Amino acid sequence: MRRRASLKQRLLELVLAAITLIWLGTAAFTYLDAREEFEELLDAHLAQAAALLVVQTSHELEEIETEHTASTHKYSPRIAFQVWEGGKTLLIHSANAPSQHLATREEGFSDSVIDNQGWRVYSLWDNSGEYLIQVAERADVREQLARTIAHNLLQPVLISLPLLAILLWVAVARGLHPLVKLTREVEQREPDNLAPLDAGAAPREVVPLIERLNRLFIRIAASMQRERRFTADAAHELRTPVAAIKAQAQVAQAASSKEERMHALDSAILGCDRATHLIEQLLTLSRLDTLEDGVTKPCPLRDIASEVIASLAPVALEKGVRLELHADDEASLRGNPELLRVLLRNLLDNSIKHTASGTTVRVGIAIEAGKVLLSVSDNGPGLPEQELKKVSERFYRPLGTQSSGSGLGLSIVKRIAEVHNAALQIGTAGEGLGFKVTVIFMQ
Amino acid sequence: MRILLVEDDALLGDAIQAGLKQSGYAVDWMKDGIAAEQALSTEPYAAVVLDLGLPRLSGLELLKHLRSRNTHKGAPSNNHTPVLILTARDTVNDRIKGLDAGADDYLVKPFDMGELTARLRALIRRASGSASPELQAVAGVTLDPAAHRVLYHEQPVELSAKEFAVLHVLMLNAGKVMSRAQLEEQLYAWGEEIESNAVEVHIHHLRRKLYPELIETIRGVGYLLPRGKGA
Repeated sequence: MRRRASLKQRLLELVLAAITLIWLGTAAFTYLDAREEFEELLDAHLAQAAALLVVQTSHELEEIETEHTASTHKYSPRIAFQVWEGGKTLLIHSANAPSQHLATREEGFSDSVIDNQGWRVYSLWDNSGEYLIQVAERADVREQLARTIAHNLLQPVLISLPLLAILLWVAVARGLHPLVKLTREVEQREPDNLAPLDAGAAPREVVPLIERLNRLFIRIAASMQRERRFTADAAHELRTPVAAIKAQAQVAQAASSKEERMHALDSAILGCDRATHLIEQLLTLSRLDTLEDGVTKPCPLRDIASEVIASLAPVALEKGVRLELHADDEASLRGNPELLRVLLRNLLDNSIKHTASGTTVRVGIAIEAGKVLLSVSDNGPGLPEQELKKVSERFYRPLGTQSSGSGLGLSIVKRIAEVHNAALQIGTAGEGLGFKVTVIFMQ
Repeated sequence: MRILLVEDDALLGDAIQAGLKQSGYAVDWMKDGIAAEQALSTEPYAAVVLDLGLPRLSGLELLKHLRSRNTHKGAPSNNHTPVLILTARDTVNDRIKGLDAGADDYLVKPFDMGELTARLRALIRRASGSASPELQAVAGVTLDPAAHRVLYHEQPVELSAKEFAVLHVLMLNAGKVMSRAQLEEQLYAWGEEIESNAVEVHIHHLRRKLYPELIETIRGVGYLLPRGKGA
């Protein structure tokens, strides 16, 4: 596994890098600037020394007795000079000066290399043009001086950087404390504790995170609650058919006539069928609950509708319910055809189950305002207003419902509609007559 | 013994009705709370088997109404009729709610028919003021509701279901005069055809199979099984 980047470490690294960069930049600039000034200063010094020598040469040359002048200052050895008579004969020179020309006989500054030794030279003729004065300074000494300056400039930076890093570490840790606190709070929570976090003392940057977390907690709590209620409801819903099966079986055991026994056994089998249906519906629903919205395939609604109607026609016929399809051929949408089949089957199942013989159940597919509408309506008695609201609740069965209903059909329809980004409209077919469910696809 | 069954589930209701009939009870089966309430205000019941999840009027509501109702004069009072609750929910809280609303017992689905009838017998027996499972009555006649058996001087006596039921009602109400109508109400469910003179015939058979003085006829009023008579 890749090691996670530490926010603290990252902050520290970035801040330190920025500071180092700026300090180095500043130091480099200062160094270069200082060096230039320094070179000029040294050059001026050389020129001044040469000028002094010129004056001395013209007036007191005779008085300079030593051929080699002694070094008097710690920096003195770096300065060397030569006095050339007529530019050709070396009249005098300092101890550290070589015996050959330090530079050409032209006046001014120049750089030269003599015996692998670099020199900065200033040449000057005296006013009479009799003597050539050449004052020089060793380049390596000048370099060393410059380096010393650079070193002195950078040293405090190099010493203070680790100190700064330590201080920054403490500061960053302090700054990130609210995050650490939040982490600890979330960490120490019981898994089922979904109470909102306190955003009271949190800094501005952390508040949105806490708010998002709290919103998430609320959503999770609601979904967990739904899940828990659903599991409980599902278990309880299964108890009734199982109770019926058991009771019927026991009645069959104690039956005194064959007729009574057969009736009880038939009822027990019916109970098994009903329990199976309920289990299947529950499984469909739980599969739908975990389904990600992946609506992709083109769905020819008309074909799907004819298929479902054909599969339910025998049941409808047996009950004396007429099935009709009124489809707009143009209507098609992208979705999951298998789920749409389940949706329509559940709607039709409901209609067939809850209407009396002689009723007509109509499947309508239409396009209105660019939206595809799928509707299932009947011309039966419909449902009163307060029942309409409850029908899509899980396990709700309207009064007088036959025992085979699971009470889950419309929940399944609702969920499939959600997956297809469709709205569900439950109402009457018009004029207070009949029951009508419309699925409005928003594509 | 007439029982009111309130159950909205067709298959389960059918099974309980059949099972209770097998145990010799007359059963009225109501499929919603309102119908059950009407039945309770017109007919006397030995016990009520009540499912809590009912359409129109929930089982708990029905129970509260039943326990707090003021009966009109002449109408049967089922205020104290024992009620056994059938519930799919078995948390302690659900049970407490049911018992607090006035239920006498409860069974969690799925249940055993034998246990249901046993609990009903116990409820009916306790409602009649007796705690002993065997109802010992008069002159060596012993009635065992669980085994559906009557012993006379330690010898088993063959009785039909209805004869047993008549004897059971009279023994439960020993010392009280029971009218023919009251006996019929306890013996027949709604819609069940009552043969004329049926009660007289059952009484006659009981006297013959046991002994004539067991049941006294109070002319124009009804029948009486004297308490603690003889030995």
